[in-house]
Amino acid sequence: MTSQDPAARTEAENFELIARIGQLTRALHENMRELGLDQEVERAAQAIPDARDRLNYIATMTEQAAERALSATEVAQPLQDSIEAQANGLAERWDSWFEQPIELGDARELVADTRAYLAWIPDQTRATNAQLLEIMMAQDFQDLTGQVIKKMMDVIREIESQLVQVLIDNIPEEHRERKSVQKSAPSEASSLLNGPQVAAEKADDVVSDQSQVDDLLDSLGF
Amino acid sequence: MADKNINILVVDDFPTMRRIVRNLLKELGYHNVEEAEDGAAGLERLKAGGFGFVVSDWNMPNLDGLEMLKQIRADDALKHLPVLMVTAEAKKENIIAAAQAGANGYVVKPFTAVTLEEKINKIFEKLDN
Repeated sequence: MTSQDPAARTEAENFELIARIGQLTRALHENMRELGLDQEVERAAQAIPDARDRLNYIATMTEQAAERALSATEVAQPLQDSIEAQANGLAERWDSWFEQPIELGDARELVADTRAYLAWIPDQTRATNAQLLEIMMAQDFQDLTGQVIKKMMDVIREIESQLVQVLIDNIPEEHRERKSVQKSAPSEASSLLNGPQVAAEKADDVVSDQSQVDDLLDSLGF
Repeated sequence: MADKNINILVVDDFPTMRRIVRNLLKELGYHNVEEAEDGAAGLERLKAGGFGFVVSDWNMPNLDGLEMLKQIRADDALKHLPVLMVTAEAKKENIIAAAQAGANGYVVKPFTAVTLEEKINKIFEKLDN
C-alpha cells in the first residue's frame, strides 16, 4: 500500500463525486425534458410566488384580526371598570345609610345619584356590546384565511405529486418494472389548481393517500 | 318591514362564518336561524320547508352556493325564496353570474354588520313592493 497524501486523495474523490453529480444532473435534466416534465416543474416553480402572496395574505389577515380584537378589548375594559366602580361607590353609600338612616337630605342625593347611574348604564352596555360585536366580526379571518390555506394545500399537493413523478420517471431500469406508474396525461396536469383530488382512487396517476406516497418513497430508497 | 320571526337558513362550510352570520342576525333581531354546512345539506333543509330567507356562501364542497341557488330557482316550491350571497368571490363575473342565477343580494367577505343589515333590509323592501 503506497502512502498517498490524504488531502490529495480526498481531492481526487471530490472531483469524481462532483463529476458524478454533474452527470446525474444532466441525465435528470435530459430525461425531464424528454418526458415534458421540465414544464411541469416550471409550472410548480411559478406557483411559489403565488404561494408567497397567499401566505402574506394569511399573515396580514391574522395580524389585523388580532389587533381588532385587542383594540376592542382595550376600549371595552374601561367601560366595564367604570360601571363596576360606580356601582361599588353607590352600594357603599347605601350600606352606610341603612346602618344609620338619618339625614333625609343625604338620602335624597343618594336616590338622585342612583337614578342617574341607572339611566347611564344602558349607554355603557351598548358601547360594550358594540366592542363585543367588533371582536366577533374580527373572527371572519378564519373563513378567509381558511379558503386561502385550502388553495395552498392543493398547490403543495400538486408540487409533491410532480416531484414524485420525477422520481418515478427516473428510477433505475431494474426497479422501473416493479414500480411502473402511468404518467399523467398532459391535458389533465395542465393546471396547478385542480382543487382537491375528489376521486383519487379512480385515477391511476394520482396517489390517494399519504401512505401511498410514503410507500412509494420507501420503495425508491428515500 | 321585515318579519323578524321568519326562519333563516345560513349555508356556509366554515363553522366560524356561520356563527358570525347567526350572531349578526340575532343582533338584528332575527332569532330563528338555522345552519347548513354546504349547498347539498342546505337544499335538503330548504326542501323540507319552513324557511323564509337564505344567506349562502359560494365556494363550498358537494354543492356550491351558485348551483344551490340555481336549483332553488328551478324548484317550484322554492323559486320565490330570497337568497343573499355572502362570499369571498369578488370577481365581476362572479357577481354577474350570481345575479343572472337569481340572487337577491351579494355581500363580499369580509363584510360589516351594517352592510349585512342594509342588504337584508333592501331585499325585504323590494319584496314588499
